[in-house]
Order: sequence, then C-alpha cells, then structure tokens
Amino acid sequence: MNMHSIPQRTQAETALIDAFGERLSLLPGDGAVTLKRDDAIEAIKHGLPTRRLESWHYTDLRRLLTSVPAFDSTAATKALPPIVEGSAILAVLNGVSGAKFPAIEGVTVQRLSEKLTDGSIAPGLDPYGSDDAIGALNTAFVADGYFVDIADGAQLEKPIELQNLQAGGQVHVRFPVRVGAGAKAAIVERQAGEGAALGSSVSQVVLGEGAEVTWLIVQEQPETATHLAQFKAHLGKNSKLTVFFMNAGGKLVRQEIVVRTTGEGADFKLRGINLLAGDTHTDVTMVLDHAVPHTTSTEVIRNVVTGKARGVFQGRINVHQYAQKTNAKMACNTLLLSDDGEFSTKPELEIFADDVICGHGATVTEIDHNHLFYLMARGIDEKSARGLLVKAFVAEVIEELDDEAIVEALETRLDDWFVAHG
Amino acid sequence: MPAVQDTIDRVRKIDVDQYKYGFQTEIAMDKAPKGLSEDIIRFISAKKDEPSWMLEWRLGAYRRWLTLEEPTWARVHYPKIDFQDLYYYAAPKSTPGPTSLSDVDPELLKVYEKLGIPLREQEILAGVQKTDASELEEPSDNVYKSGRVAVDAVFDSVSVVTTFKKELAQAGVIFCSISEAIREHPELVQKYLGSVVPTSDNFYATLNSAVFTDGSFVFVPKGVRCPMELSTYFRMNEKNTGQFERTLIIAEEGAYVSYLEGCTAPQRDENQLHAAVVELVALDDAEIKYSTVQNWYPGDAEGKGGIYNFVTKRGDCRGDRSKISWTQVETGSAITWKYPSCILRGDDSSGEFYSIAVSNGYQQVDSGTKMIHLGKNTSSRIISKGIAAGFSQNTYRGQVSAHRKATNARNFTNCDSLLIGDQCGAHTVPYMEAKNSTAQFEHEATTSKISEDQKFYVMQRGIPEEEAIALIVNGFVKDVIQQLPMEFAVEAQKLIGISLEGSVG
Repeated sequence: MNMHSIPQRTQAETALIDAFGERLSLLPGDGAVTLKRDDAIEAIKHGLPTRRLESWHYTDLRRLLTSVPAFDSTAATKALPPIVEGSAILAVLNGVSGAKFPAIEGVTVQRLSEKLTDGSIAPGLDPYGSDDAIGALNTAFVADGYFVDIADGAQLEKPIELQNLQAGGQVHVRFPVRVGAGAKAAIVERQAGEGAALGSSVSQVVLGEGAEVTWLIVQEQPETATHLAQFKAHLGKNSKLTVFFMNAGGKLVRQEIVVRTTGEGADFKLRGINLLAGDTHTDVTMVLDHAVPHTTSTEVIRNVVTGKARGVFQGRINVHQYAQKTNAKMACNTLLLSDDGEFSTKPELEIFADDVICGHGATVTEIDHNHLFYLMARGIDEKSARGLLVKAFVAEVIEELDDEAIVEALETRLDDWFVAHG
Repeated sequence: MPAVQDTIDRVRKIDVDQYKYGFQTEIAMDKAPKGLSEDIIRFISAKKDEPSWMLEWRLGAYRRWLTLEEPTWARVHYPKIDFQDLYYYAAPKSTPGPTSLSDVDPELLKVYEKLGIPLREQEILAGVQKTDASELEEPSDNVYKSGRVAVDAVFDSVSVVTTFKKELAQAGVIFCSISEAIREHPELVQKYLGSVVPTSDNFYATLNSAVFTDGSFVFVPKGVRCPMELSTYFRMNEKNTGQFERTLIIAEEGAYVSYLEGCTAPQRDENQLHAAVVELVALDDAEIKYSTVQNWYPGDAEGKGGIYNFVTKRGDCRGDRSKISWTQVETGSAITWKYPSCILRGDDSSGEFYSIAVSNGYQQVDSGTKMIHLGKNTSSRIISKGIAAGFSQNTYRGQVSAHRKATNARNFTNCDSLLIGDQCGAHTVPYMEAKNSTAQFEHEATTSKISEDQKFYVMQRGIPEEEAIALIVNGFVKDVIQQLPMEFAVEAQKLIGISLEGSVG
C-alpha cells in the first residue's frame, strides 16, 4: 500500500475533467474568473474526496459518484408555483437564469452570468478549504444563478423564492445574497427537477448589522439526481439567521452548511429534517465557526430513515480562542424505521475558549413501543399510529418557525412525503 | 470567569514541573544496539529464549510494519519519530529471572519504594518474602480479604518480579510475565495472542507485535473468581528506550478478574516512546475489569520532553453475557493516543468505558473508545470527563456502531469537558453509526467552565478558592472515580489534585 501514488482516475473524474475542457470556452467569465476556474479544476484533478478525508468520512464521493452526465442544452423545464403564495420567483431553469424577473421593492437582482462576465463576482469564487470539493466543482463549472442585494433597512413582506430546477445533464448555479443592515427577509431556496442530473448549487449570504433572515432550503430532487449543495453565511453584528432545510429526495445528496459569526451578538439557528427513503445517500455536513465573543447558536436536526436509505449528519462547532461567552447547542435525533436503513452521526465540538457553554446530543432509535401501544389501544391501526408518531417527531422542528404560511406549506410537503413513503 | 493573567502565570510556574516520579536510577543495564532491524528482533527473541513460532510471528509483524505509515488523523502534533534512534531492548543486568525478592537488585527495590505505588508498601512485597508455606497453610477464606494485590513489575523491557504467584496458582490463575507465558504456556499464548489486536491492526500495534519485550499475562480458568486484584506496574528508566509492553488477559467461562495498571518514567529532556498493546478476551459469562492510572512524565513547563504514549487496548467480549469494563485516569504523558475498545461479539454482552483525562502544560490528549456492537442485545456505556488546563489540548474521540445483526444494541455516551484557562482547548469527536433499526444510541456532550455560582456556593462556606475548585472538579469526575478499585481511587483523586494545582483562577 502506498498512499502517495496518484490513484488512477475514476470514470467520473475523467468525465469531469474532459467536460471542463469542452465547456470552458462556453462559460461566462473574464480573466479573473477563468483563473479561479483553472485553480478549481486543478483541485479536482487531484481526485474527488474519499473517506480518508475526515470531512467526507461517511460520503466517499470518489466511489459514490459513478457517472457524470453530459451537459444538455436542449433540456427545458418550467418554473414551479411557489411554496408560499405571493413569493417573488427567481427561477434558474436547467442552469439558465431568466432575462425577466419581478421587481421587488428594496431589492436589486442581477443575473449571475452578467456578474461572471464582468468579473465582479470573482473574489467570492474561492473554495473555503482544500476539502471543499463542492465549492471547487461549482467554481469550475458555474454558469448562472442570481445575485440578490437587499438594501439596508428593507423589510420584505413576502419571501423571495430562488428556484433551481434541473431537467437532466449538468447544472451548476450560484446565489450570492447580500442582506443590508437592519433589513428583514425570508428566502426560499428550492432544489428540484426531473432528470438524472449532476448538479451543484452554492448559496452565499452576508448579513449586515442587525439583519434578520429566514432561509428555507427545500430539496425535492428525483431519486435519479446527484445533488451537491452548499450554503455559506457570514453573520454581522447582532444579526439573526434561521436556516431551515428539508431533504426529501435525490439519489446522492450532500448539503453543506458553512456558517461564521463575524459580529458580536449574532445568533444562528439551524433546523432541519431529512426524510430518507429508497436506495439513496444523503449527507448533511455543518461547520459553524464562532469567531467573535457573545454569539449564540442552536441546531436541531431530525431524521427519518426508511427503505435502504443511508443518512449522515456531521456537525462541527468551532469556538475560537477569543469567542468568549459563546453559547452553542446542537441536537441530532434519528428514527430508524427499516432494517436496511442506516444513519451515521458525528457531532463535533472544537473549543479554544474557556468561558463558554457548549453541548451536543445525538440519539438513534426506533419508534417507542409504549407510544405505539398507547395509540393502538385507542383503536388506531398500527400503520396510522406509526405515521402519527413519525410526523409528530419531525413536525416539532417545523412548528418552531414563526411564519405560519411557511409552517403550513412545509407540513403539506411532509404529508405528501408520508403518503408516498409511509 | 475567564482565566486572568495571574492564573496563566501560575500555571506556567507550577503545573507539570511538579512531577514526583522524575528521578532516575543508575542500574547496570543490558541493552540491545540502537535501531530496528530483523537482527534486533532475532536478538530480542533469543534473549527471551522464545520458540521459533514466536520469532516468525514477530518477523511477520515487522515486515508488515515496514509497509505502514504513521497515522496522522489524531489531534496531536509532534516532531517525526526516528524509529532507528531508539533502544528496543533494555534490561536490568542483575536480574536473570528473579524468583524471590532477595534476588532483586536493591537499587531496583528502592525505585519501587520511592514510587510508593502499587507495590505500595513493602508489606505486600513482604508477603512474597515470607515463605510461601505460611500462605499455603491458610485456607482460602483468607483469600477474599481486601487490600491484597498481586503485582507484576515491569522495568524497561523486562518483568522483574511477580508476587503472590503461588497463591494464585492454587486458585488456578496464571499470572506471570508474558515472556514466561510464551515459554511455559505456549498453547494459550498461541491461541489468544493477536486474536483481538491482529499484527496488522495499526502502525503502533504492528510495531509492538514485532518488538514487544515484556508485559503481563493473566489466565483465569473456567468458573474462577480471581481471589485478589492483579496489578502491573510499568517503569521506563533507561534513556532513549522505547517501552513496548504486551498484556494479554483471558477470562474463561464464568471467570472474573480485576486488573490494575500504573506507569511512571523519569524526567528527561528527550521524548520517550511507549507503544503498548493490551488484549482482553472474555468468554461466556466472564467479566474483566481493567483499570489504568497513567502518570508517565508529561514534559516540563515548556513542553520539553515527556512520554509519547501510543497505545492500542482492545477487549473482545467473545462469549455470551460477557462483560469488559475499562476505567482510566490519564494525567501523564506529553502525548496520549489511546482508545480502549470493546468488541461486543457475544449475545447479551456489555462494555463499559470510564475515563478521566487531565491535561496541563503542553500536554496533548487524544483519547476515547470504540464500542462495536455485533451480537444481539448488547449494551455499552461511555462516561468520559476531560479537564484541560494550561496550554493543553484535550480531545475525546469515540465510535459507537451497531452492525446489521446487532438487534437491540444499546449505548449511552456522556462526555463532558471542563476548561481551565483560555489557552487550552477541548474537543469532542464522536462517531455514531447505526445499521440496525432496533439500535438505541444516546450521546450527550457538554463543555463548560466551573460556574461562578458553584464556586461561590462552596467558598461562601469558608472553603478557600483552590480547595473549592478541587472539590468541584472531584465532583465532576466522581462518576469515573467510583469505578476504580479502592486503592486506585484514592491515588487518582490525589493525582488530579496535583495535575491541576496552580492552574485555577
């Protein structure tokens, strides 16, 4: 065994490198962007991450990514009705943004292809670390998306819904969002489609002082799609960010959440549900940096696993040396409903400051037989009783959200999933 | 309250320099030449008068080791070790297999006298010096009286003395050095050695398999409850030596044994390497309790010197309803890399891990456990308490996994960290892997400092600050201390006190 030998490239790696050669001339971008793309493809040439890489311990991308579809410029799809009625929709259809989009008061929207062409987005294209394969893949291939700028003090009444809808082939999009000081907004990130696509999607959010954002990620890819997504956020002074994600689809899914508190008094909340079924693999990996004093965070993840699904949650909280008075709590609870399903959890704490309160909890279990008995003793059949208990288990996370319209919309999707997989 | 400058200064001044066991003893030593090669392994094997199968086993491991690379995944940093710059064999010259204490070099006895533990106090050793006849006459009702411990003492590369052998033999228990076991009980050694930690297991375990020089061997036959606590005492004395000990404990059907291990080393500027392997085998209904108080030299206040402690410890609950329990108090070593694990193979078997890891100065601890659930209705429990002070880094790394057939696997994990001072770090890296829907895993971890309220409450009752903190810390680790045999519990409490002294603010 010699770890230093360069392993033979997999079919997928070769396909990606070849695709880059073919696509480069078609991709938007000035010199600076092209340089970033070259660096990114170099990283991919060193090989996709394997389980030897700690941050990819449970998702051996090199082994799991067996094929890479070709780009398909003829495939087309249509925008979906929004999750919350009245939302302003910004749709990217099979990797291409629309030339026309609704005007939203206090918000400036620009197509990302234009920002790539003029190079103004280039500084934001760097992957965040040497193990950031999703960042590298996206930087190499990103062709479009939207740049959203919410003005200082803007109070958005209705959500903005970013739709990334694939119709097959390869789709690489990016959504940089700036939220001005004191602004308040709800943003829905919708990841769906109908093809056997390979897609990457990167959202980058910067919250100004006192900004308040609720960000929903609703991922409902078909069971044929490979979906590699990243959500990155910087939290300014006294800002509040609530991220809610729901994974209910996809064949191979990795959702990364990378958050850094950069201003004192910032508060981060993460709530998530993984609904896993079929022969699929879903990995949610969070890295949270408490980089300044007096910041708080709570994370609650609930997972339901049926069929042959494999689920992963990795959550790392880093408390930097000067981040005194940090208060961070993380919980990950899993219900395993089938014998062939599996779930792996790695909740990590890395703490360099002493005056902090940090904790994490993780559980894996099946449905409590006493609870089941209680319901069945009241004349409810086993299937319905199980359904009720599982729904109650995940709905708890949804109900914490303030916005009733959002809660209702998510509960409907939850019901749909249970009808299909319950 | 965050640590103030005053505290940091005090930590600097006191902490690790207080190491009590840093003395060195001048004893004529028989050493192999420096470096590692097949010849050195042949030399060690010949010195130990080993059968040829053992030599082949060692050479096989050595050839395997040559193909391996040092692991780098642990959260520890140290300069690369030059494995050719170590002595792999060092033995006190005057002890070619002592049979009684009078044969032992008086200098050596002085060492143990100075150490105090657990050959504590010469009365136990006196027990050996008294003729065995008197003990044989006494019937076995005396055997269960508490406070008696049989000791195997390992000095650098060899076991120098084993006490209470006769009495143990009467109960059918074999307790001797592993070298002796290889000669006297080859069938047992051949059957079990490497069956829990195979020679190919990991870099350090493989190195150990090639060059291990001594250690303890315990065999408790079917249905026997070992009449006393067994204990091994390790001492690294010689300069530039690596200590590679190998311990093998077998508890047959229905047997019970409690085993204690203690370690110290002299204060030196160079780093010394300690790479041990411990294997436990518990058959049906057997129980093994393994306790460690590790107090190797941690290095000085600037982080210079100290022991590199790279240890592989693993227990195999091979039989149904068997139980293995690990308890460790880690206060020494510059670097600790240690994960005592349980393989829960038998149905209804259970594993436990209780750990206190205290780090101060520039110590680095990366320790934890693995609980691998394979059988049905297996259960495991992990309680880990990490205390970091000074400039140290303290990491808990643990894995709990339930395999497809491990129906009704249960685990409870609790790991808490306490930080004293703002220059240290505490880390928790648990891996939980459930592949069975009936598995039930619970994990919780917290990190905090001593709360002002707690401290105020205690100090308000007239207890000075340092003592108040010691009291709270001892309360923090109580769950683990309670698992230790009496003799060690007292010692562990004191050790924690010494390790933390001056580090509170």
